[in-house]
Amino acid sequence: MNRLCNMEPRVMDDEMLKLAVGEQGPRDEAGQLAKQEGVLFKDVLSLQLDFQNILRIDSLWQFENLRKLQLDNNVIEKIEGLENLTRLVWLDLSFNNIEAIEGLDTLVNLEDLSLFNNRISKIDSLDALAKLQVLSLGNNQIGNMMNIIYLRRFKDLRTLSLSGNPVAEAEDYRTCICAYLPDLVYLDFRRIDDQKKELAEMKHQYSVDELKHRESLMQARLEDERARREELAEHEAAFVEHLSGPSLWDSMYAEDVEGSQLSHLPGVRELLQTYKDKFVIICLNIFEYGLKQQKKRKAELDTFMGCVQEAVQEKQEQGKHKIAKFEEKHLLSLSSTRDESELTNFEIKMAEYSEDITELANVLMTLEMQLVEQLEETINMFERNIIDLVGLFVENVQSLMAQCRDLENHHHEKLLEIAISTLEKIVKGELDEDLPDAVRSLFVDKDTIVNAVGASHDIHLLKIDNREDELVTKVNSWCAHLVDKIHKDEIMRNRRRVKEINQYIDHVQSELDSLECSDLLD
Amino acid sequence: MEVLKEKVEEEEEAERAERGEKMMRPMEVRKEETIMTQEMLRDLERKLSEIEVSIPEKPSTFTKDAIDISKLPLSYQSNTPKEEHLLQVADNFSRQYSHLCPDRVPLFLHPVNECEVPKFVSTTIRPTLMPYPELYNWDTCAQFVSDFLSAVPLPDPLKPPSYLYSSTTVLKYQKGNCFDFSTLLCSMLIGARYDAYCVYGYGSQDLCHLDLTREVCPLTVKPKEMVKEEEKAPPKKYAVKPPRDLTSRFEQEQEIKRQEAIKAEEERRLKQEEEHLVEQESAKTDPLHGLRVHSWVLVLSGKREVPESFFIDPFTGRSYSTQDDHFLGIESLWNHKNYWVNMQDCWNCCKDLVFDLGDPVRWEYLLLGTDKPLLSLTEEEDDGMNDDDDVENLGKEDEDKSFDMPCSWVEQIEISPEAFETRCPNGKKVIQYKRAKLEKWAPYLNNNGLVCRLTTYEDLECTKTLEVKEWFQNREDMLELKHINKVTGLNIDYFKPGHPQALRVHSYTSMQPEMDRIMEFYETARVDGLIKREETPRTMTEYYQGRPDLLSYRHVNFGPRIKKLALNSAESNPRPVVKITERFFRNPAKPADEDVAERVFLILDERIQLRYHCREDRITASKREFLWRTEGDSKGNKIIMTPDMCLSFEVEPMEHTKKLLYQPEAMMKLKNEEKLSRHQAWESELEVLEILKLREEEEAAHALTISIYDTKRNEKSKEYREAMERVMHEEHLWQVEAQLDYLAPFLAQLPPGEKLTRWQAMRLKDECLSDFKQRLIDKANLIQARFEKETQELQKQQQWYQENQVTLTPEDEDLYLSYCSQAMFRIRILEQRLNRHKELAPLKYLAMEEKLYKDPRLVELLKVFV
Repeated sequence: MNRLCNMEPRVMDDEMLKLAVGEQGPRDEAGQLAKQEGVLFKDVLSLQLDFQNILRIDSLWQFENLRKLQLDNNVIEKIEGLENLTRLVWLDLSFNNIEAIEGLDTLVNLEDLSLFNNRISKIDSLDALAKLQVLSLGNNQIGNMMNIIYLRRFKDLRTLSLSGNPVAEAEDYRTCICAYLPDLVYLDFRRIDDQKKELAEMKHQYSVDELKHRESLMQARLEDERARREELAEHEAAFVEHLSGPSLWDSMYAEDVEGSQLSHLPGVRELLQTYKDKFVIICLNIFEYGLKQQKKRKAELDTFMGCVQEAVQEKQEQGKHKIAKFEEKHLLSLSSTRDESELTNFEIKMAEYSEDITELANVLMTLEMQLVEQLEETINMFERNIIDLVGLFVENVQSLMAQCRDLENHHHEKLLEIAISTLEKIVKGELDEDLPDAVRSLFVDKDTIVNAVGASHDIHLLKIDNREDELVTKVNSWCAHLVDKIHKDEIMRNRRRVKEINQYIDHVQSELDSLECSDLLD
Repeated sequence: MEVLKEKVEEEEEAERAERGEKMMRPMEVRKEETIMTQEMLRDLERKLSEIEVSIPEKPSTFTKDAIDISKLPLSYQSNTPKEEHLLQVADNFSRQYSHLCPDRVPLFLHPVNECEVPKFVSTTIRPTLMPYPELYNWDTCAQFVSDFLSAVPLPDPLKPPSYLYSSTTVLKYQKGNCFDFSTLLCSMLIGARYDAYCVYGYGSQDLCHLDLTREVCPLTVKPKEMVKEEEKAPPKKYAVKPPRDLTSRFEQEQEIKRQEAIKAEEERRLKQEEEHLVEQESAKTDPLHGLRVHSWVLVLSGKREVPESFFIDPFTGRSYSTQDDHFLGIESLWNHKNYWVNMQDCWNCCKDLVFDLGDPVRWEYLLLGTDKPLLSLTEEEDDGMNDDDDVENLGKEDEDKSFDMPCSWVEQIEISPEAFETRCPNGKKVIQYKRAKLEKWAPYLNNNGLVCRLTTYEDLECTKTLEVKEWFQNREDMLELKHINKVTGLNIDYFKPGHPQALRVHSYTSMQPEMDRIMEFYETARVDGLIKREETPRTMTEYYQGRPDLLSYRHVNFGPRIKKLALNSAESNPRPVVKITERFFRNPAKPADEDVAERVFLILDERIQLRYHCREDRITASKREFLWRTEGDSKGNKIIMTPDMCLSFEVEPMEHTKKLLYQPEAMMKLKNEEKLSRHQAWESELEVLEILKLREEEEAAHALTISIYDTKRNEKSKEYREAMERVMHEEHLWQVEAQLDYLAPFLAQLPPGEKLTRWQAMRLKDECLSDFKQRLIDKANLIQARFEKETQELQKQQQWYQENQVTLTPEDEDLYLSYCSQAMFRIRILEQRLNRHKELAPLKYLAMEEKLYKDPRLVELLKVFV
């Protein structure tokens, strides 16, 4: 950019930021205080950094609460370093040398984005900006009309400027945008009048309708996907995912080469079918049982949480009440002690006051200790119950899995029988049917066929075992996690409360001390 | 059997005699008749009936003199054959009844009506559904009857009256005894589809004399608080165990025992007092207890979703259970269809009575075949039936089974809307209750809208007033109830929604400002969401709801007024504000540490205290206190925030709140808020003054509102309507005149506004007549001309036809023929008209002349010449 080329590009550093903050910070009385104490970057709400010849955005990570940032008229080439400014509502990056939109994925609250007079040729990477209302992209190098369609996803977008782009030179530029972005109110700083909008809509009706249709299809697909995912998550929470259908059975045969080869033998197909049916029924049983148990566990957890919440709430109320009573008394006495002239009276009051403080501390601590005891008991009870519940679940699932294994064993025996008889037939040359070569190759001798059938059997058993193990470990770890978390939470709560009480008592005590001190000084 | 017959006959005679001469004691009659022969009896009867004429009216305030019987319809003055038959049946029934139950009093079957005609009681009931929705339910209906009529005691408290007037007459005079009351109420209830009956029985003295002084006024009885114990949720599985109770159980028990002893003592004392009072009250016992005749209404369960049978006392309009002590026995009861005699023993008042009218053992009916279903009898009752078989058969055999009750002879009961609204006779009623007096007025009767006043007294003699409650209606200021406690001097006014200041309740001891008072408001009607404002001489507390700034409470402490010599009124010299406390609801949009829960402006100390809301999981709340010195300001120095000017306690200390940088701004803001709050307090004071002023004005003016639908009272609409009617009427008159004014064209020629001279009148008459004559001639000529034209046309056509007859097509011929017939028809009509005109014209002329002579404008002038 020739207007700035005679100046040396600068880097954003702390000094520069401090200067800017100081200049734009509070004035007058507060300004003096600000100078004395300095301003934290965290508290700054708006920052202006224009005409600074900045090349690279940097050192902004401290400005967590920034709402408005102006970085216009610099020589920035890349949008970066803005990840921490999640509260940002207004971002001005106009008159820079930016070539691509990027690095805005965390700025979910952004409403006003200006990228005027840059070198952008494509609108994208704005997906996260769901609240976008104003978008300024004038004087860029956007040449493709398809970019407009991308903007359809911003439901709140009302103002758009695109003038000065190659795309704006097209003949039906305005009507096209009006048709594709019907919610737009201002285009290139001009209000879109209704008549024109209607005309545009009529003109582009077909393509827009088609677009809408495609979008709705997409939407429906996404929703389906989401529903499926939710369902799966629910099943996973019950630790019985993929057990509602034949997928376990399918997975057993997926890697089983021999098994699928053996299915060509006469009579095996029927055998497989009945086996599959029975197997799937058992799987379904496990699945339903799992869901039921999940519901039970959830109800248990909910009641527990509710009860704990209630108990804590009650104690909290009691504590609040006690403090309120204390404060009432103390406020009155404090104001009267201030006026107290006689030293003996004053001392009596002070003594009384400090006594009250100790008592309050005791009472609050007692309440807390009571609560801790009560909760401990309750938590232990819950822990026992939930472990029992999980144990029962595991036991029952294991027994159902054992049924699966039995089925598999049974099937294995039958298969072996058929295989051996087939082998005998082949040996005798009595086999009528044609078998694929791969299958026929198994029937070389008895060992081979027995091994093949055995390998298939082993694979199946392994699959079943794996599934069972997976379930059991998952549920156990869930249980352990839960119990652990409850304990931890309770400890945290206790620490917090104790800290709070101590802090309060300290505060009151210090107030008393200061009163005494001031009085002594007088 | 012969003996029986004779006896029956004798009794019949007695009955007749009794009917003829009611004043004579039946005992005497009976005594006499045992000696007399039949002839003598007849003679006596004749004599007695002669005597009856000279007997003066019954000793009743409701005298026959007052009733104009000449205007009553025919059904009142005579009996239909069917009614006669019914009376015979009733007489027969009565004879058998008195034969079989000689120790019972005669039945109340057919008293005479206002025209001295005996009418059966059932036919006196005229079921009528009133057109007022208020009268659809039994309670309002009974209340209306009790309000509308004023009670007259029975001529003889031990006997039913010998007369029973129609409900129309009773309504007209708004007076009646208990039988009139119950007949009217019964008519209305049956009309409203209740299963209601008139009862003839015995009541307590209080009941018969409409004496409520021993009753507690229903309005003073506080509605029982519905203390519905909340169902305790079953203890949850994981509910924490309560902390161990370490107090001594023995001590607790001892304490409880002590408490109980005290309570028992208290109770005993109360009981004694109560007993004492009861004794006092029931000192006088009634010597005629159980003999006093009364009539009331019985409503049986079943219809109109009445779950249980009950009595209504028509005098008071109150309902009683059938077990009530006031009702001492039942002789008989009837509705518009039938008459039942009670055959049950009433030794225990009405408590053991079974109201199963289908049971002929308990209830002897007069007419068979009414729609009352015979309830199924159990085996035991069957046994009982056999025992008194004769009783059961009584009155049944010789009756025509298909006979049913004739229609009521009473005219339809009508209550005019005015009468309905006025309710009580003269619109006023006073009821004396135990320790209370209830006064009722018709709406709009009192010009301050007072409709009801309840005065409660401390003592039984009603000398020391305890409190007064006054109900108002149709007040422009929406005042509904005024409650004055005479002991404490506390006044409480209740308002309906719609007061200009949205006032709901106003309780005060004096109307002076800056005194103890509580005002409650309809907060939805107020912009500032004020619910309640309490005042004491030094404080003002306001409660708010639903404000955008979430203010919930403001408490203002005032200091003593600084004396100013010139101005002393409260308006110009507000009291100094010492302290303002404001509380806020939690604003969920802000974090708790930044959401102020309470702020206290200590104005004299120049101190502001803030208390923030508690976070959900905390028990302590942040606090902050600002202090500032104004001295620095006065010297012209800039105040700079110093750490000791801002004390704070933070639940969770954060770096940024500790910085002083943010405090000046907050403090300035708070200072502004303080100003605003002070202003608010001042405005509230002003508002109180304004309300008080307004209330005083309203009390002085007590204007009443009139509904736009109230055509009678709404003066404005009445005036408008009348004006409209007048205009319509005038218009109509004018139109009529305009139609007939034959003189108008001639009068118009004369100079307007001047009186006609005789000569002018003459000329006018002559002109008018000649003009009329001319018109008649013209008309005749016109008809003549038309006639000739028509004839010529016809002749022409005929000529044409004859000339072209040969060449004509059949169609043309047809056309010609039809034309001919039409033309001939027209000619004939014209001829007739002409003849008629010739006949009538002279008559018309004469009539015109006559009219002119009689015309009011000319009559004076022409009279002389005629």
